[in-house]
Amino acid sequence: MSTINELIQKIDELKPISRVTSQIITLAEDSKSSMSDFANVIQYDSATTANLLRTCNSAAMGLPRKVESVRDAITLMGLEQVVDLVLIKNSTDNLKTEQPGYGLDEGALWRQSVASAMLSKELCQKHEVANQHLVFTAALLKDIGKVVLSRFVADEFKKINELVENDGLSFREAEKQIIGVDHAELGAMVAKKWNFSSKMISIIKNHHLTDESQKNDLETAIVYAADTICMMMGIGGGADGLAYHFFNEVFSLLEISEKDLQIIMASFAQNLEKVENLFTAV
Amino acid sequence: MRLVVGVSDMKVSNQPQNKIVTYSLGSCIGLAVYDPAVNAGGILHYMLPESSLDTIKAQINPYMFADTGIPALFEVMAQYSAEAQDMKVVVAGGAQVLNQRNIFNIGKRNQMALHKILDKNHVKVDFEDVGGNVNRTVTLDLKTGDVIIKVSGGEEKII
Repeated sequence: MSTINELIQKIDELKPISRVTSQIITLAEDSKSSMSDFANVIQYDSATTANLLRTCNSAAMGLPRKVESVRDAITLMGLEQVVDLVLIKNSTDNLKTEQPGYGLDEGALWRQSVASAMLSKELCQKHEVANQHLVFTAALLKDIGKVVLSRFVADEFKKINELVENDGLSFREAEKQIIGVDHAELGAMVAKKWNFSSKMISIIKNHHLTDESQKNDLETAIVYAADTICMMMGIGGGADGLAYHFFNEVFSLLEISEKDLQIIMASFAQNLEKVENLFTAV
Repeated sequence: MRLVVGVSDMKVSNQPQNKIVTYSLGSCIGLAVYDPAVNAGGILHYMLPESSLDTIKAQINPYMFADTGIPALFEVMAQYSAEAQDMKVVVAGGAQVLNQRNIFNIGKRNQMALHKILDKNHVKVDFEDVGGNVNRTVTLDLKTGDVIIKVSGGEEKII
């Protein structure tokens, strides 16, 4: 079987997202969705509700009292955070396992994904992005292609790494050259299969700015910047290291100076404990 | 026991059964010190060069910055009667994203801040594995005094 066919088969082996998750992501993709649209979908799905309550009532969440219903969770945490929790809980099963090709232990990819989604959200707030749930979800799922590609990267790691070390290629470029496809491209194929919007597919495909023209797209720029900052902070860092291209222009577009970058890192460090607690809770 | 040092964190011990480890250093720096005379050692994992960025944060967590974290590490080592001139001093991390221009190169700034402080205090670095585009994990084994630097996807160096 050719590598590409094997990869397509691997995409089929991913745990599929449920119908209700798909509905929630469709709402997330549409900036016109109201908060009550989300609340309706969440509260009429018993599995999602049960999972949400279990998460909220986990000791790691540290909520002041027991949460008995979706309404209760919304009162206590705000609908915005409830939606984020549901998106995390319902869409990240595939990211929890170890990814040996990328040198990622169990949970490392999940932590990186959740951290960059949280940081993307902060950047969205600063730039008053209309569709923050879309950006959050794209950041959360941007590396789904790594889950598909991990075994192939493991087989070809030496060759990939040589291109990175000797020829100055980014890890993604080296994947593309050696395997014929890279994790961002594969992530976009997964997103397409899961019927995500073209915007979401494009952000996932360009989270390392494969198509450099996308650096002028605010939502893509935010996901790229959040990923880069998490990479620098070493969050869920793996064998691909920091071997991705840095684009100054993105930070200019987002009005992030060198000092701002340090302030963002100092402030975001506080969230690492939150990511850790979430990992235990979900 | 494995003592894990998080981001902006520090651990020191003199118990030979302990291993101190810090995972996944990107542009952050891991500073490992060990004094064989008193069998005490520690690792600091700091994220940024200068506490002037946010003095309140530095008060709450001095381990976030080089200029507050490094003195704190040597102070705690002194409480274990360790002496700077007897210590093995190992530095790892300070990596950078590809083509990261100097102003955004926090890994490099972290490294420069460290040398400024150590030079001023006449502390010699025995081994330094800094820069590049890789993630590093540093372990200090208090049974042997070995410092192990593991590059993710690469080999281990034992110092």
